[in-house]
Amino acid sequence: MDTYLQFIVLGLGLGAVYIGLTTGLVLVYRATGIINFAQGAMAMWGAYVFAQLRIDGTLVLPIGRITFGAKPVILVAALIGVLMSVLLGIVAHYLVFRPVRHAPVLAQVVVSVALMLTLQALVVIRFGPNSIVVDSLVPAGTVTLFGVEVSSRELIMTAVMIALAALVWAYLRFTRAGVATRAASENERGAMLMGFAPDRLAGVAMVLASAVGTVGVLLGSSLTGLNPANYTLLVVPALAVLLVARMESIGVVVAASLVLGAFQSVVNLLVSKPWWPQWAQSGVDQVIPFVVVMVILFLFGRRLPSRGTLQTVRLPDVHVPRIRPVPALVLVAAAVAVLALTQDTYRFGVTYSIILMLVALSYVIVTGYLGQISLAQTSFAGAAGFTLSKVTTNWDMPFPLAILFCSLVAALLGMIVALPAFRIRGAQLAIVTIAAALAIERFVFNNYALTPPSGNPIANPSLFGLNVGVREGSDLSRMAFSLTVLVVAVLVVLAFVRLASGTTGRMFLAVRANERAAASVGIDVRTAKVIGFGLSAFVAGMAGCLIGYSAGQLSAESFTVFVGLQILAVAYLGGITSFGGAVIAGIIGPLGIIYVVLHEVFDMGDYYALISGIALIATAILNPVGIAGETRRQIAWLRGKLRARPADPPPVPDRKVLSDVS
Amino acid sequence: MPEQLLSAEGLTAGYNGVPAIRDLDLSVGAGEVVSLLGPNGSGKTTTLLALVGLLPAMAGTVTALGEPVPTRRPHLLARRGVRLVPDDRGIYFGLSVREHLRLARRRPDPARTAAVLDRFPALAGLQSRKVGLLSGGEQQMLAIATALLGGPKVLMVDEMSLGLAPKIVQEMLPAIRELARDEGIAVLLVEQHVELALAVSDRAVVLNHGRAVLAGTATYLLAGRDRLESAYFGADEFAATQGA
Repeated sequence: MDTYLQFIVLGLGLGAVYIGLTTGLVLVYRATGIINFAQGAMAMWGAYVFAQLRIDGTLVLPIGRITFGAKPVILVAALIGVLMSVLLGIVAHYLVFRPVRHAPVLAQVVVSVALMLTLQALVVIRFGPNSIVVDSLVPAGTVTLFGVEVSSRELIMTAVMIALAALVWAYLRFTRAGVATRAASENERGAMLMGFAPDRLAGVAMVLASAVGTVGVLLGSSLTGLNPANYTLLVVPALAVLLVARMESIGVVVAASLVLGAFQSVVNLLVSKPWWPQWAQSGVDQVIPFVVVMVILFLFGRRLPSRGTLQTVRLPDVHVPRIRPVPALVLVAAAVAVLALTQDTYRFGVTYSIILMLVALSYVIVTGYLGQISLAQTSFAGAAGFTLSKVTTNWDMPFPLAILFCSLVAALLGMIVALPAFRIRGAQLAIVTIAAALAIERFVFNNYALTPPSGNPIANPSLFGLNVGVREGSDLSRMAFSLTVLVVAVLVVLAFVRLASGTTGRMFLAVRANERAAASVGIDVRTAKVIGFGLSAFVAGMAGCLIGYSAGQLSAESFTVFVGLQILAVAYLGGITSFGGAVIAGIIGPLGIIYVVLHEVFDMGDYYALISGIALIATAILNPVGIAGETRRQIAWLRGKLRARPADPPPVPDRKVLSDVS
Repeated sequence: MPEQLLSAEGLTAGYNGVPAIRDLDLSVGAGEVVSLLGPNGSGKTTTLLALVGLLPAMAGTVTALGEPVPTRRPHLLARRGVRLVPDDRGIYFGLSVREHLRLARRRPDPARTAAVLDRFPALAGLQSRKVGLLSGGEQQMLAIATALLGGPKVLMVDEMSLGLAPKIVQEMLPAIRELARDEGIAVLLVEQHVELALAVSDRAVVLNHGRAVLAGTATYLLAGRDRLESAYFGADEFAATQGA
């Protein structure tokens, strides 16, 4: 029993971090209606600044650095760290969040995800990719609690964070600005007419949120060390707590954070016991909270409160695609030509672009058409990939059958993830799916019992005795494999166009536009969601199998939550509602051809994540229809101009543009 | 003629480039009650939104307290004392009555609060109640009380009678009249209840299809029922404004 109490206290340290991050999430949500996926990353920046100040007295800024003669005192360093985060919060508020306040939920999710990716990339560039040790603000020590000697540091941290959360609560409860923030979250126009500037209130909330979150991470990172991934992703459990607290109750945030932290700590103790099954040791601390949150939401979930805003903007328009043989053939011919003209790394980049196009297409189906925000697409791809490794090595399943089978497995997983979408929508669904993705990543992909560290080899594919494997001898990227990928992609795209232009596509669009209206004309909304998630997971699964074949063996790195977010980013950048957007996403996606060129020619691979993050923020703010949509809009505008002047020659359709095919 | 606190000249405004009101002239002076009347969709709410700058004017000018109204910055206008009580009443169901009263003033002013609550005694006993639990009439009283607490010089009320029992409307409209007289507030009412509104107004403007089809003093309008009815239902011969 003593050990359990000790672990519970240790877990409170983690709980204290959750309190900081989730309190910030609540503040920002109430003030802006935006769920800030970048909360962890923003707080992490301040913690890094603090840690670096204590290591060598250097104040690292996003660009440039200031070197102090001596290392500052720990409290001064902490203050500077918090101050840097607060400045970051202000900048983020004005440059990133304020412009998308009335944008569609998808744009808001994408913008905060993009900010998170940008900050993570920036941390890697400015502070390096390795874990660093962080000085502790709270001295280590022990106290005796119920006759058991436990660490006092976690208890002090918890007390500090509870006090800060109480301050935030008091701000929202008793100050005029705080009450106005709550008022504006309910009725923004009403608050403006009463003389409040919601933007100003949101700025204040952002400052408070950054400060509280950063203090949490500052304290927590002394226990765990800092690396670019851990605190960025710590926002996921914090988001789960946010859902449990129904986006508003600070009291529930504190309680749920502490329970979750303690619980995860105890689970980590339990899995080390001999009676705990070996296959379930990895990632259980992520899976169980996810399941618990799901159950809470499912059984007790009343409609989660949403925010009253001035106006809402719809998702980008969808142009129902149709098959146009000439542009389609031109596109395929162009792809074949490019593949024939390139070799090795570059051909591999092009091939990978085609595969990424499929992953992006899976986002087009589930998000662009069905209107559901899923951040779990790479988990579907990964599930198919790992299944492929099993069925090709253990069962010798032949090539085309194997990827169909594995994609069906992914589709099944997708249908399961569709279940929460029955009850949960918009950004909240994004939270649930990212939590699911993280749980799958930790529990399945990183689980040595399921995916041995020695590797997950995948047998080379062959078709009618013809070897279509990716490499043979010194040829690292064979044409046969690239063509196979292309054929699979063409078949998937043809199937997509058929479905999207038919009843299924219209059913999805109806659900996207208005679920109640869709139900009233006889569409079974739940069935539509299950089919949509299933289809999109199937396409993602296809891509996952091709990724598997392209590597010859599978590693979890191909399918992390971050990779998923990056592909969502480029899918949105390209245009989330069209096939043309998916093509652009494939071209600019991570490990795709542009990435390869950046890496090989300019040696700027490190900057890829930073550049794509910033480009994504800019796209989501300036141009919510994405590159493909914007190109189409400009073509339409040009055509309109040309038609308006009959004296001019008839317009020549621009065949070069990819979006024309869809 | 009292000092004009709120005036619009040649105001045209609308949505997505399509005008919903055209070429509207309107003015309200201190202590005066003016009613904006008209059937559904005639542009009454649009007029109010344009008057506070929530909708940008496509043509014409809006002047409040002698200064042009800024576009999409109604909070600045509200701080200067130009208040609109919108059709959703602009209140917050999750907040208590006390919190509303707290929001309404920069610095707490017990005397002013007591004076306002005197006008709406029903609210005095409900201070700690969540506004979502109030009746429609109580909510409307609260909306007006919060507007009054800020010491407005111009008060616009959109469809005060919406969803209220006729008896309550009969009590509240005269209260507004008294307010205008006692505190010298310029009041602009948007109403569906034509007779009740005219009974407490000095002047009125009837809108139809986005144009002022009839304007005049309340007595003049009440005297000619036929004229009023045809303006309301859109007869062409009343396209020209008369009286005033």
